[in-house]
Order: sequence, then C-alpha cells, then structure tokens
Amino acid sequence: MNTPHRLPDSTACLWMLKKMILIRRFSEYLIPIYPTDVLETPLHLHIGQEAVPVGLCVHLTDSDTISFSHRSHGPALAKGINLQSLMAELYGKITGCSRSRGGSMHLVEPELGMHGSSAIVGGGIALGAGMALAAKLSNADHISVSYFGDGATNSGIFWETLNFSALKEIPLLFVCEHNHWANNMPAHHHMYGDPLLVSKVFMESFQIDGTDVLDVYKGMAQAVGYVKEMKKPAFALCKTLRWMTHLGVSYDETHCPENMRQKSCPIQKLQTIMMSENMIDASGIQHIIAEVDQDILDADTFAKNSPFPSPDSLMEDA
Amino acid sequence: MDAFSIPMEHDMPEGNRIISYKTAIQEATDQAMMHDSRVFVIGLDADDPSGMFGSLKNLSCQERVIGTPISENAVCGIAMGAALAGQRPICIHLRVDFLMSAMDIIVNYIAKWRYMFGGRVHVPLVIRAVIGRGWGCAAQHAQALHGLFAHIPGLQVVMPAFPYAAKGLLLSAIQDDNPVIIIEHRRLYDQKGHVPSEMFGLPLGKGYLMRKGRSLSIVAASLAVIDTLSAVDSNDIDADVIDLRSIAPLDMEIIRSSVKKTGKLLVVDYAYPFCGIASEICARVAETSFSDLRQPLARITFPNCSVPASGILEKAYYPSAKTIAKKALEMIK
Ligand SMILES: Cc1ncc(C[n+]2csc(CCOP(=O)(O)OP(=O)(O)O)c2C)c(N)n1
Repeated sequence: MNTPHRLPDSTACLWMLKKMILIRRFSEYLIPIYPTDVLETPLHLHIGQEAVPVGLCVHLTDSDTISFSHRSHGPALAKGINLQSLMAELYGKITGCSRSRGGSMHLVEPELGMHGSSAIVGGGIALGAGMALAAKLSNADHISVSYFGDGATNSGIFWETLNFSALKEIPLLFVCEHNHWANNMPAHHHMYGDPLLVSKVFMESFQIDGTDVLDVYKGMAQAVGYVKEMKKPAFALCKTLRWMTHLGVSYDETHCPENMRQKSCPIQKLQTIMMSENMIDASGIQHIIAEVDQDILDADTFAKNSPFPSPDSLMEDA
Repeated sequence: MDAFSIPMEHDMPEGNRIISYKTAIQEATDQAMMHDSRVFVIGLDADDPSGMFGSLKNLSCQERVIGTPISENAVCGIAMGAALAGQRPICIHLRVDFLMSAMDIIVNYIAKWRYMFGGRVHVPLVIRAVIGRGWGCAAQHAQALHGLFAHIPGLQVVMPAFPYAAKGLLLSAIQDDNPVIIIEHRRLYDQKGHVPSEMFGLPLGKGYLMRKGRSLSIVAASLAVIDTLSAVDSNDIDADVIDLRSIAPLDMEIIRSSVKKTGKLLVVDYAYPFCGIASEICARVAETSFSDLRQPLARITFPNCSVPASGILEKAYYPSAKTIAKKALEMIK
C-alpha cells in the first residue's frame, strides 16, 4: 500500500494484534500435536492469513452472521468462538462446539452468528446469503458475511448467489480470501480472471491487501459500512498468501519460503507500525503472547480433561 | 485405432501377477486410452501429481487428462456432452460426496438421455468416485452413496472389491455404450491380487461366488466383501459369499440360487440402511424366494445417521469383520 494508513485507534489495533496472535499461536500449538494422532481430524490452518478474518471481524457485532468453510479456525476465532470449545472439538470431546460430531471443518456457535461451517466447497456461500435474506425479512440491522476461498468461486453456486444477492438487495458481504491456491491448484489453473472483474458489475466491490491488517481494516470499514447502510450486497477480494500446505501442519516451503513469509507477515507488519506509533512496546507484545499462550494451554487442559462422547449417544440428533 | 474389443471373463483367476487395486485401475485406464483415442479423463485434480491416489499416475496420454476447477456440476455436464458427441470420458471424483453438487446432471440428464430420446442418443460415460472413511472426516467426507445412484433408472453402478474386478469392470464400463458409475473404496486401493496384463472385461450386472458353503448366504460389495471373507475364513463359517461386483443391475440369479441352497440370507452393505441396496435385495428375495427361506432375512449396514467426527463414535458407527462374524454365527446356530 502506497498511501499511508490512517491508523485505527489503539483499542482496535490492540484487539486486532491480539486476535492475530491468538490465531497464529493456536495454529502453531497444533503443529506438533497433529502427528501424534490425538486430534483425529483433518486440519486446514490459517497461519499467515490472519489479517483477513481479523480485519473483517473487528467491524462485526455478535449478531452479524458469517458462513465459512473447511479453513475454519481463523474466521471462527476472529468472530469469537470459545477457544476451549474449539480445542475440545479438535480432540473429539463431547464439550466441543459441535459436541464432537463435526471435527475441525465443522464449527458452530449460533449465539455469535456462526450457524455451522461446511466442508463441501461452495455451498456455504449460499447459506450466508440466506442469513442475509433472513435479516432483511425480519427488518434486522445486522448483516451477513459469506466467507470463502478463491477455489470456491469455481462453483456454480457462487455465481448464482452473486446474482441473487444483487437482484434481491440483501445485506450480504462476500469475502473472498484469495490465498492463490485451491488445494494443489494455483489460482491461474482454476480461475480465468479475478472474480472482482465480474462482481463489480453486480455490486460495490473492494480490492484489499489481505496480508496487511490495516488495509483489511480500512477496506472492511468501507465494505461493512456500505452493506449496513445501503442494505445491499458488496464484494471484498482479499489477496493473501497461504503459508501452509493445503491440509496438515507443514509449511509450503516451495511456494511460500521463509523470506516470503517474513515479508508478508501480517502480525509483523502491524507490530512494526504500532511500535513506531508508540502504541505498544516489545514487552507489551510479549505480554500479549504470554496471555494468549496461557489461554491456549488452559483450552488444551480443558479439552484433554473433557470426556469423550459415549458410544451410546451415536444416534442423538440423527 | 478407435474402440477396442475385449474378451469377457466371468471368473476370478488364480495367478501370480500381483498388483494393487490402484495399479489395476491405472493399467486399465492406460490401456483403454492407448487403444481408443476417444477415451479421456476429466475431473478435479485429474492432473494432480498424486494421480487420484495413484490410480492415474504415469498415464501415456497426458494430453487427454484434463484437470478442472472445483465445478463438479458443470464438469459432469461437460463430460456428458462430450460423450454425446462421440467421446468416451472417464469423469473422476476424489470423494463421492463431491458428486452431490452434480446430482442434477447425473439424475436429470445422464440417467435419462437415452430413454427420453427413444434410444436415438446414448451416453457412453464412466464416472469414478471414491468412498472415504475415518480419521474424523465427518459427515460430508465419508459417505457411501451408491444406493442413491442405483435408485435411478438408467444408471449402472459397479463396486469392485478386488484389483482383478477393478480392471475388468472399468474396461467393461468404458466399452459400454451407457453410463456407468464406479464406486471405489479408498481402503481397497492398496489391496493386492492377481491381474492379467492383457485387456479383459467383466460383465456388468454379474456377481461372483467367492466362497461356497451350505449354511448361510452372505451378499456384499466392495470393502464389505473383504470384511465378510475375513469373518468367514477366520471363523470357519460354512457360507456362500457372493461378491455383487455390480449393484445396478443387480444379479438376483446368483443370490436366489444361493438362498435356495442355504435358506438363510445376510446382506452386508456399508451404507445407510434406509431404501438401500440391502433393503432392495431383501425385498426381492422375500418376493420371489419366500418359500426357500428358513429364517428371517438379516442386514448389516451403517446406522441410520450421518458419520460422526470423533474417533470413538466412528468406531461405534462402522460395522466390521467382527460384526459380520457375530451375526453370521448367530444365524447358523
Ligand atoms: C465440491 C467439492 N469439491 C472438492 C472438494 C475438495 N477440496 C477441499 S478444499 C479444496 C480447495 C478449496 O480451495 P479454496 O476455496 O481456495 O479454499 P482454501 O483451502 O484455499 O482456503 C478442495 C478442492 C470439496 N471439499 N468440495
């Protein structure tokens, strides 16, 4: 970004810094555990992509709804899912947010506008629109977010929902977290052009640097503000980098090597600016990390000490 | 050369050319593509280096392997269109669950075209889809939906359990002028067995008697055959074991003649129970072989609920060789 940022106030900056550190440290915490097979569930980590969910959710209220997919931990934590219930879900424990039925890809917290994440690419986009339609029909003030990856724009349901939302003027924000990959497919193999080229014919559209949380903050302030005020859909394309392989806990050294990660790290970028603006110093950052790490350890203890579901409960809710 | 002709086999020959299930699929695909320039492979990750869990690795005609965006619905329609226009597509899916977004094309188009146009057109299309299981895959990544496809007139559905059948059924499916859905269980991919190197076909709609016994008939398909054999062999159960190979059309002849002999039937279907293949088989046996039966029909299936993520619930969910042995022993007591 060439234009200097007008900084959000220090409360917002601190909130974003802490949330990004939470997503990062939580994900990193899972790295050594995953190969030991105590978490029997496929992980899609959000490391490196923290700026997008955090710079979005800082503008959302608890009653705003959000529909996301398999890469679920980032948006769920940014929207405020209880860390203990998230950890317990990964451990397959009955105290998990989905009562152990869902695993890593299927998180839910209806009280916070998270009505369940899907692991089939595409469908969740329509669910977000349905929640926006519900807000419109009930004259509510909140908005809805459909949160998806670049790969999801390949699906028919994405284009159908784009058209529907524009036609029906529903308060929906499309957020495309464009990490340049869909599994092993680079974006140029699966999408002919940026979806923004089309979305802007249908609705107000924003291009955002998804590696820079201040740019996300600024862009989402406009996008969320527009949807809230105009009660019409908008589209935000956030380009970011996937540091990890699609699935699992390895860094993608081939496509996102160390030097690239360092240059694009959203946490580093925010810390640097906050420090130069005297919003925080090194010990303040250490303090946040320590606090977050303690929460993660507590969540881990909680999850480990929680009971497994009883096999007899298999048919509950069937 | 366009088109190929293959000898039709019926048996399960012994031999020592031992290859894996995934290699058998690769070999059949490669041979079909070499012999018939109309055959091509299309689907999400068809061109991925992992080669669909190894079943599409190192194909000789890479230019006829087409990777696609995550657009299953359109891609199935595109494959069908190409089939109508004279090609022989193999449309692949890494999980059967991903095919659900293409159900409109499969049910309303692919299955109906030949009938709806009085046989003036046909759809020589093969759809391959893999069933997954385990490790917290949960409800959207571990389904077995073959019964859903078999329900639709106009779709043939096969479920090879062995490398030999994987090759023979795939070649038959490619050669067939009408749509065939091949359901492959991921757990079978590394199973090994004898497979002849030359091209051959297995008749669609024909089962095979894997074990001969007198006290009980057990019918199964895909992974359930492997578990059934292990149950029968390790407990010396005196049973006929029928590997269905195809579930649509269903080989009722082989089932009926076995039931005539044993008077008892256990159907093992690793899928949801309601309106499933097991129910269909039981209904037909009750209709036509009622007087042969000496005790109530029995089914082993998944419970009537979605697949849970938690390992402990997964264990409670899936039947196994043990479940089969227990039921079989009960039935022959
Ligand atoms: C309909 C469907 N097809 C294929 C898959 C397998 N799959 C899971 S995630 C994924 C890539 C998704 O990419 P993107 O939407 O960009 O999200 P990202 O993983 O990059 O966050 C694919 C192909 C699926 N889940 N659903």
